[in-house]
Amino acid sequence: MDPLPEPVSYLCGDCGVENTLKSGDVIQCRDCGYRILYKKRTRRIVQYEAR
Amino acid sequence: MEGASYARMPRVKIRELKDDYMKFELRDTDASVANALRRVMISEVPTVAIDLVEIEVNSSVLNDEFIAHRLGLIPLTSERAMAMRFSRDCDACDGDGQCEYCSVEFHLRVKCITDQTLDVSSKDLISSDHTVTPVDVPGGDASIESDGRGIIIVKLRRGQELRLRAIARKGIGKDHAKWSPAATVTFMYEPDIHINEDLMESLTLEEKKEWVDSSPTRVFDIDPVTQQVMVVDPEAYSYDDEVIKKAEAMGKPGLIEITAKQDSFIFTVESTGAVKASQLLLNSIEILKQKLDAVRLSEDTVEADDQFGELGAHMRGG
Repeated sequence: MDPLPEPVSYLCGDCGVENTLKSGDVIQCRDCGYRILYKKRTRRIVQYEAR
Repeated sequence: MEGASYARMPRVKIRELKDDYMKFELRDTDASVANALRRVMISEVPTVAIDLVEIEVNSSVLNDEFIAHRLGLIPLTSERAMAMRFSRDCDACDGDGQCEYCSVEFHLRVKCITDQTLDVSSKDLISSDHTVTPVDVPGGDASIESDGRGIIIVKLRRGQELRLRAIARKGIGKDHAKWSPAATVTFMYEPDIHINEDLMESLTLEEKKEWVDSSPTRVFDIDPVTQQVMVVDPEAYSYDDEVIKKAEAMGKPGLIEITAKQDSFIFTVESTGAVKASQLLLNSIEILKQKLDAVRLSEDTVEADDQFGELGAHMRGG
Protein backbone atom coordinates (compact mmCIF):
# COMPACT_ATOMS: atom_id res chain seq x y z
CA MET A 1 0.00 0.00 0.00
CA ASP A 2 2.08 2.89 1.27
CA PRO A 3 5.71 2.71 0.21
CA LEU A 4 6.96 3.84 3.60
CA PRO A 5 4.65 3.27 6.56
CA GLU A 6 4.83 6.20 8.91
CA PRO A 7 6.23 5.20 12.29
CA VAL A 8 3.54 5.10 14.96
CA SER A 9 4.09 7.49 17.84
CA TYR A 10 2.84 7.08 21.37
CA LEU A 11 2.69 9.36 24.41
CA CYS A 12 3.96 8.17 27.77
CA GLY A 13 1.25 7.98 30.39
CA ASP A 14 3.61 9.22 33.09
CA CYS A 15 6.03 11.82 31.73
CA GLY A 16 4.22 12.61 28.45
CA VAL A 17 7.25 12.25 26.23
CA GLU A 18 6.68 11.09 22.65
CA ASN A 19 7.88 7.57 21.80
CA THR A 20 8.06 5.83 18.45
CA LEU A 21 7.51 2.09 18.50
CA LYS A 22 7.95 -0.58 15.86
CA SER A 23 6.39 -4.01 15.96
CA GLY A 24 8.19 -6.30 18.39
CA ASP A 25 9.39 -3.45 20.57
CA VAL A 26 8.85 -3.61 24.30
CA ILE A 27 5.97 -1.37 25.32
CA GLN A 28 7.88 0.93 27.62
CA CYS A 29 8.71 4.64 27.73
CA ARG A 30 12.29 5.32 26.64
CA ASP A 31 12.69 8.14 29.15
CA CYS A 32 11.11 6.96 32.38
CA GLY A 33 10.37 3.26 31.80
CA TYR A 34 6.66 3.67 32.39
CA ARG A 35 4.73 0.83 30.75
CA ILE A 36 1.49 2.61 29.79
CA LEU A 37 1.62 4.37 26.41
CA TYR A 38 -1.16 6.19 24.56
CA LYS A 39 -1.46 6.01 20.78
CA LYS A 40 -1.73 9.32 18.92
CA ARG A 41 -4.31 9.92 16.24
CA THR A 42 -3.07 9.21 12.75
CA ARG A 43 -2.45 12.11 10.41
CA ARG A 44 -3.61 9.97 7.54
CA ILE A 45 -7.12 10.26 6.09
CA VAL A 46 -9.45 7.65 7.52
CA GLN A 47 -12.44 6.31 5.66
CA TYR A 48 -15.80 5.29 7.11
CA GLU A 49 -19.09 4.00 5.78
CA ALA A 50 -21.86 6.33 6.90
CA ARG A 51 -24.11 3.51 8.19
CA MET B 1 -62.64 -17.36 -17.12
CA GLU B 2 -60.80 -16.98 -20.44
CA GLY B 3 -60.16 -13.32 -21.14
CA ALA B 4 -61.80 -12.16 -17.95
CA SER B 5 -60.15 -9.02 -16.69
CA TYR B 6 -59.87 -8.30 -13.04
CA ALA B 7 -58.36 -4.89 -13.61
CA ARG B 8 -59.92 -2.21 -11.46
CA MET B 9 -59.83 1.50 -12.01
CA PRO B 10 -58.67 3.05 -8.77
CA ARG B 11 -59.39 6.71 -8.10
CA VAL B 12 -57.24 9.14 -6.18
CA LYS B 13 -58.54 12.31 -4.57
CA ILE B 14 -56.04 14.65 -3.01
CA ARG B 15 -57.33 16.32 0.10
CA GLU B 16 -54.35 18.26 1.35
CA LEU B 17 -51.03 19.03 -0.25
CA LYS B 18 -47.99 20.72 1.21
CA ASP B 19 -44.32 20.34 0.33
CA ASP B 20 -43.68 17.77 3.02
CA TYR B 21 -47.18 16.55 3.80
CA MET B 22 -50.00 15.03 1.84
CA LYS B 23 -53.37 13.47 2.56
CA PHE B 24 -55.32 11.64 -0.12
CA GLU B 25 -58.07 9.12 -0.68
CA LEU B 26 -57.50 5.97 -2.68
CA ARG B 27 -60.69 4.23 -3.78
CA ASP B 28 -61.85 1.23 -5.82
CA THR B 29 -58.85 -0.93 -5.12
CA ASP B 30 -57.84 -3.40 -2.41
CA ALA B 31 -55.59 -3.53 0.60
CA SER B 32 -52.81 -5.33 -1.29
CA VAL B 33 -52.43 -2.37 -3.66
CA ALA B 34 -52.70 0.20 -0.89
CA ASN B 35 -50.09 -1.60 1.19
CA ALA B 36 -47.77 -2.11 -1.79
CA LEU B 37 -47.91 1.62 -2.41
CA ARG B 38 -47.19 2.38 1.23
CA ARG B 39 -44.25 -0.01 1.36
CA VAL B 40 -42.74 1.26 -1.89
CA MET B 41 -42.94 4.85 -0.64
CA ILE B 42 -41.07 3.93 2.54
CA SER B 43 -38.40 1.60 1.27
CA GLU B 44 -38.02 1.63 -2.51
CA VAL B 45 -38.17 5.22 -3.68
CA PRO B 46 -34.54 6.28 -4.15
CA THR B 47 -32.90 9.30 -2.57
CA VAL B 48 -29.33 10.52 -2.22
CA ALA B 49 -27.54 10.26 1.12
CA ILE B 50 -23.95 10.47 2.34
CA ASP B 51 -22.50 6.96 2.20
CA LEU B 52 -18.74 7.36 2.50
CA VAL B 53 -16.83 9.75 4.75
CA GLU B 54 -13.10 10.47 4.56
CA ILE B 55 -11.99 12.27 7.70
CA GLU B 56 -8.83 14.34 7.53
CA VAL B 57 -8.91 16.00 10.94
CA ASN B 58 -11.30 15.44 13.79
CA SER B 59 -10.47 16.91 17.17
CA SER B 60 -14.12 17.25 18.20
CA VAL B 61 -15.65 15.42 21.14
CA LEU B 62 -17.46 12.98 18.86
CA ASN B 63 -15.50 10.10 17.39
CA ASP B 64 -15.10 9.56 13.63
CA GLU B 65 -17.68 6.76 13.38
CA PHE B 66 -20.23 8.80 15.28
CA ILE B 67 -19.81 11.78 12.93
CA ALA B 68 -19.88 9.58 9.82
CA HIS B 69 -23.15 8.06 11.00
CA ARG B 70 -24.68 11.47 11.69
CA LEU B 71 -23.67 12.73 8.24
CA GLY B 72 -25.34 9.72 6.66
CA LEU B 73 -28.65 10.54 8.30
CA ILE B 74 -28.86 14.11 6.94
CA PRO B 75 -31.60 14.28 4.29
CA LEU B 76 -30.37 15.65 0.96
CA THR B 77 -32.55 17.11 -1.79
CA SER B 78 -33.07 14.19 -4.17
CA GLU B 79 -35.25 15.36 -7.07
CA ARG B 80 -32.55 14.00 -9.35
CA ALA B 81 -32.31 10.59 -7.66
CA MET B 82 -34.76 8.81 -9.97
CA ALA B 83 -32.55 9.68 -12.95
CA MET B 84 -29.27 8.89 -11.20
CA ARG B 85 -27.47 5.55 -11.28
CA PHE B 86 -26.78 3.25 -8.39
CA SER B 87 -23.03 3.32 -7.90
CA ARG B 88 -22.97 -0.50 -8.00
CA ASP B 89 -24.18 -0.53 -11.61
CA CYS B 90 -22.47 2.62 -12.80
CA ASP B 91 -19.94 1.73 -15.49
CA ALA B 92 -18.47 5.23 -15.68
CA CYS B 93 -16.66 4.80 -12.38
CA ASP B 94 -16.36 2.56 -9.36
CA GLY B 95 -18.44 4.77 -7.10
CA ASP B 96 -15.48 6.75 -5.82
CA GLY B 97 -17.21 10.11 -6.12
CA GLN B 98 -15.49 11.18 -9.31
CA CYS B 99 -18.52 10.34 -11.41
CA GLU B 100 -21.38 12.78 -12.00
CA TYR B 101 -23.89 10.00 -12.77
CA CYS B 102 -23.85 8.23 -9.45
CA SER B 103 -22.29 10.38 -6.74
CA VAL B 104 -22.05 13.84 -5.26
CA GLU B 105 -19.08 15.10 -3.29
CA PHE B 106 -19.30 17.19 -0.12
CA HIS B 107 -16.64 19.06 1.81
CA LEU B 108 -16.69 20.20 5.39
CA ARG B 109 -13.94 22.37 6.88
CA VAL B 110 -14.62 24.09 10.17
CA LYS B 111 -12.47 25.22 13.08
CA CYS B 112 -13.51 27.03 16.20
CA ILE B 113 -11.24 29.97 16.96
CA THR B 114 -13.35 31.86 19.47
CA ASP B 115 -14.32 31.23 23.07
CA GLN B 116 -17.90 30.70 21.99
CA THR B 117 -19.10 27.20 21.15
CA LEU B 118 -19.35 26.73 17.40
CA ASP B 119 -22.28 24.73 16.02
CA VAL B 120 -21.33 22.73 12.95
CA SER B 121 -24.49 22.16 10.95
CA SER B 122 -25.65 20.76 7.63
CA LYS B 123 -25.35 24.33 6.31
CA ASP B 124 -21.56 23.99 6.55
CA LEU B 125 -21.53 21.11 4.06
CA ILE B 126 -20.29 22.36 0.70
CA SER B 127 -21.83 20.41 -2.16
CA SER B 128 -20.20 19.85 -5.54
CA ASP B 129 -23.66 19.78 -7.13
CA HIS B 130 -26.15 22.58 -6.49
CA THR B 131 -29.11 20.25 -7.09
CA VAL B 132 -28.06 18.00 -4.20
CA THR B 133 -27.82 19.93 -0.94
CA PRO B 134 -28.86 19.31 2.66
CA VAL B 135 -32.58 19.97 2.97
CA ASP B 136 -33.67 23.42 4.01
CA VAL B 137 -35.12 23.27 7.45
CA PRO B 138 -37.89 25.88 7.34
CA GLY B 139 -37.41 28.76 9.74
CA GLY B 140 -41.09 29.55 10.27
CA ASP B 141 -41.82 26.89 12.85
CA ALA B 142 -40.46 28.09 16.17
CA SER B 143 -41.61 25.02 18.08
CA ILE B 144 -38.49 23.01 17.25
CA GLU B 145 -34.83 23.89 16.92
CA SER B 146 -35.34 24.64 13.24
CA ASP B 147 -34.57 28.34 13.03
CA GLY B 148 -32.94 28.13 9.64
CA ARG B 149 -29.60 27.03 11.05
CA GLY B 150 -29.66 23.57 9.55
CA ILE B 151 -29.18 20.23 11.27
CA ILE B 152 -26.49 20.27 13.94
CA ILE B 153 -23.73 17.71 13.32
CA VAL B 154 -21.35 18.48 16.21
CA LYS B 155 -20.35 21.36 18.48
CA LEU B 156 -16.76 22.62 18.68
CA ARG B 157 -14.98 24.48 21.47
CA ARG B 158 -11.94 26.71 21.00
CA GLY B 159 -9.18 24.99 19.05
CA GLN B 160 -11.23 22.03 17.88
CA GLU B 161 -11.43 21.29 14.17
CA LEU B 162 -13.31 19.09 11.74
CA ARG B 163 -12.16 18.56 8.17
CA LEU B 164 -13.62 15.89 5.91
CA ARG B 165 -14.77 14.82 2.46
CA ALA B 166 -18.04 12.95 2.08
CA ILE B 167 -19.51 11.08 -0.86
CA ALA B 168 -23.27 10.88 -1.29
CA ARG B 169 -24.80 8.08 -3.32
CA LYS B 170 -28.17 7.01 -4.56
CA GLY B 171 -29.84 4.30 -2.51
CA ILE B 172 -33.15 2.96 -1.22
CA GLY B 173 -34.67 2.65 2.22
CA LYS B 174 -34.54 -1.15 2.04
CA ASP B 175 -30.72 -0.98 2.16
CA HIS B 176 -30.56 1.59 4.94
CA ALA B 177 -33.23 3.78 6.52
CA LYS B 178 -31.15 6.90 5.79
CA TRP B 179 -32.24 6.58 2.15
CA SER B 180 -35.94 6.50 2.99
CA PRO B 181 -37.68 9.63 1.68
CA ALA B 182 -40.67 9.03 3.94
CA ALA B 183 -40.98 10.10 7.53
CA THR B 184 -44.31 8.31 7.87
CA VAL B 185 -46.71 6.76 5.41
CA THR B 186 -49.94 5.40 6.83
CA PHE B 187 -53.32 4.44 5.50
CA MET B 188 -56.60 3.70 7.23
CA TYR B 189 -59.74 2.02 6.03
CA GLU B 190 -62.60 4.44 5.69
CA PRO B 191 -65.16 3.57 8.39
CA ASP B 192 -68.78 2.95 7.51
CA ILE B 193 -70.92 3.96 10.50
CA HIS B 194 -74.58 2.97 10.85
CA ILE B 195 -76.62 4.16 13.80
CA ASN B 196 -79.75 2.18 14.64
CA GLU B 197 -82.07 5.20 14.82
CA ASP B 198 -84.95 3.37 16.53
CA LEU B 199 -82.71 2.06 19.26
CA MET B 200 -81.00 5.44 19.61
CA GLU B 201 -84.34 7.18 20.14
CA SER B 202 -85.04 4.84 23.06
CA LEU B 203 -82.21 6.59 24.93
CA THR B 204 -82.74 9.68 27.05
CA LEU B 205 -80.76 12.81 26.23
CA GLU B 206 -78.63 12.13 29.28
CA GLU B 207 -77.81 8.62 28.05
CA LYS B 208 -77.04 9.88 24.56
CA LYS B 209 -74.55 12.40 25.98
CA GLU B 210 -72.94 9.66 28.05
CA TRP B 211 -72.66 7.40 25.02
CA VAL B 212 -71.27 10.18 22.78
CA ASP B 213 -68.67 10.99 25.43
CA SER B 214 -67.57 7.34 25.64
CA SER B 215 -65.69 7.69 22.37
CA PRO B 216 -62.04 8.66 23.02
CA THR B 217 -62.06 10.66 19.77
CA ARG B 218 -64.82 13.06 18.73
CA VAL B 219 -66.70 10.95 16.20
CA PHE B 220 -70.28 11.71 17.31
CA ASP B 221 -72.13 14.70 18.64
CA ILE B 222 -75.69 15.64 19.53
CA ASP B 223 -77.60 17.97 17.27
CA PRO B 224 -78.51 20.94 19.53
CA VAL B 225 -81.83 21.42 17.72
CA THR B 226 -83.20 17.93 17.14
CA GLN B 227 -81.24 16.32 20.00
CA GLN B 228 -80.38 13.46 17.69
CA VAL B 229 -77.02 11.73 17.69
CA MET B 230 -75.09 12.49 14.53
CA VAL B 231 -71.76 11.48 13.07
CA VAL B 232 -69.53 14.55 12.89
CA ASP B 233 -66.21 12.99 11.86
CA PRO B 234 -66.23 9.32 10.84
CA GLU B 235 -62.47 9.36 10.19
CA ALA B 236 -61.76 10.30 13.79
CA TYR B 237 -62.86 6.77 14.68
CA SER B 238 -59.81 4.69 15.49
CA TYR B 239 -61.46 1.27 15.49
CA ASP B 240 -61.22 1.20 19.28
CA ASP B 241 -64.69 -0.44 19.78
CA GLU B 242 -65.31 1.82 22.81
CA VAL B 243 -68.72 3.03 21.62
CA ILE B 244 -69.77 -0.54 20.80
CA LYS B 245 -68.76 -1.75 24.26
CA LYS B 246 -70.54 1.24 25.81
CA ALA B 247 -73.74 0.42 23.91
CA GLU B 248 -73.55 -3.15 25.17
CA ALA B 249 -72.89 -1.97 28.73
CA MET B 250 -75.98 0.25 28.48
CA GLY B 251 -78.00 -2.79 27.46
CA LYS B 252 -78.41 -1.69 23.85
CA PRO B 253 -76.41 -4.08 21.70
CA GLY B 254 -76.74 -3.28 18.01
CA LEU B 255 -77.13 0.45 18.72
CA ILE B 256 -74.23 1.09 16.40
CA GLU B 257 -72.56 -0.87 13.64
CA ILE B 258 -69.15 0.15 12.36
CA THR B 259 -67.45 -1.63 9.51
CA ALA B 260 -64.32 -0.81 7.50
CA LYS B 261 -64.89 -0.19 3.80
CA GLN B 262 -62.60 -2.73 2.15
CA ASP B 263 -61.91 -0.66 -0.96
CA SER B 264 -61.41 2.87 0.40
CA PHE B 265 -58.22 4.09 1.99
CA ILE B 266 -57.14 7.37 3.47
CA PHE B 267 -53.41 7.92 3.11
CA THR B 268 -51.19 10.25 5.09
CA VAL B 269 -47.71 10.87 3.68
CA GLU B 270 -44.99 12.82 5.44
CA SER B 271 -41.74 13.43 3.60
CA THR B 272 -38.30 14.01 5.11
CA GLY B 273 -37.83 16.83 2.62
CA ALA B 274 -35.62 14.80 0.27
CA VAL B 275 -38.42 14.81 -2.29
CA LYS B 276 -41.76 16.60 -2.14
CA ALA B 277 -44.64 14.51 -0.81
CA SER B 278 -46.44 14.74 -4.17
CA GLN B 279 -43.32 13.63 -6.04
CA LEU B 280 -42.84 10.79 -3.56
CA LEU B 281 -46.24 9.38 -4.50
CA LEU B 282 -45.55 9.75 -8.25
CA ASN B 283 -42.14 8.11 -7.90
CA SER B 284 -43.60 5.23 -5.90
CA ILE B 285 -46.18 4.53 -8.61
CA GLU B 286 -43.42 4.62 -11.22
CA ILE B 287 -41.38 2.07 -9.26
CA LEU B 288 -44.39 -0.16 -8.69
CA LYS B 289 -44.95 -0.14 -12.46
CA GLN B 290 -41.32 -1.10 -13.10
CA LYS B 291 -41.69 -4.02 -10.70
CA LEU B 292 -44.85 -5.18 -12.45
CA ASP B 293 -43.09 -4.94 -15.83
CA ALA B 294 -40.41 -7.29 -14.54
CA VAL B 295 -43.03 -9.81 -13.51
CA ARG B 296 -44.90 -9.52 -16.79
CA LEU B 297 -41.78 -10.05 -18.88
CA SER B 298 -40.75 -13.12 -16.93
CA GLU B 299 -44.15 -14.75 -17.23
CA ASP B 300 -44.83 -14.26 -20.95
CA THR B 301 -41.65 -15.30 -22.64
CA VAL B 302 -39.12 -18.03 -22.19
CA GLU B 303 -36.52 -15.84 -23.90
CA ALA B 304 -36.74 -13.40 -21.05
CA ASP B 305 -35.28 -16.08 -18.80
CA ASP B 306 -31.80 -14.74 -19.43
CA GLN B 307 -32.81 -11.35 -18.13
CA PHE B 308 -35.08 -12.36 -15.31
CA GLY B 309 -33.97 -15.94 -14.80
CA GLU B 310 -34.40 -16.20 -11.08
CA LEU B 311 -37.72 -14.39 -10.98
CA GLY B 312 -39.00 -16.39 -13.98
CA ALA B 313 -38.15 -19.65 -12.27
CA HIS B 314 -39.83 -18.41 -9.14
CA MET B 315 -42.99 -17.47 -11.01
CA ARG B 316 -43.24 -20.96 -12.50
CA GLY B 317 -42.84 -22.43 -9.04
CA GLY B 318 -39.25 -23.57 -9.62
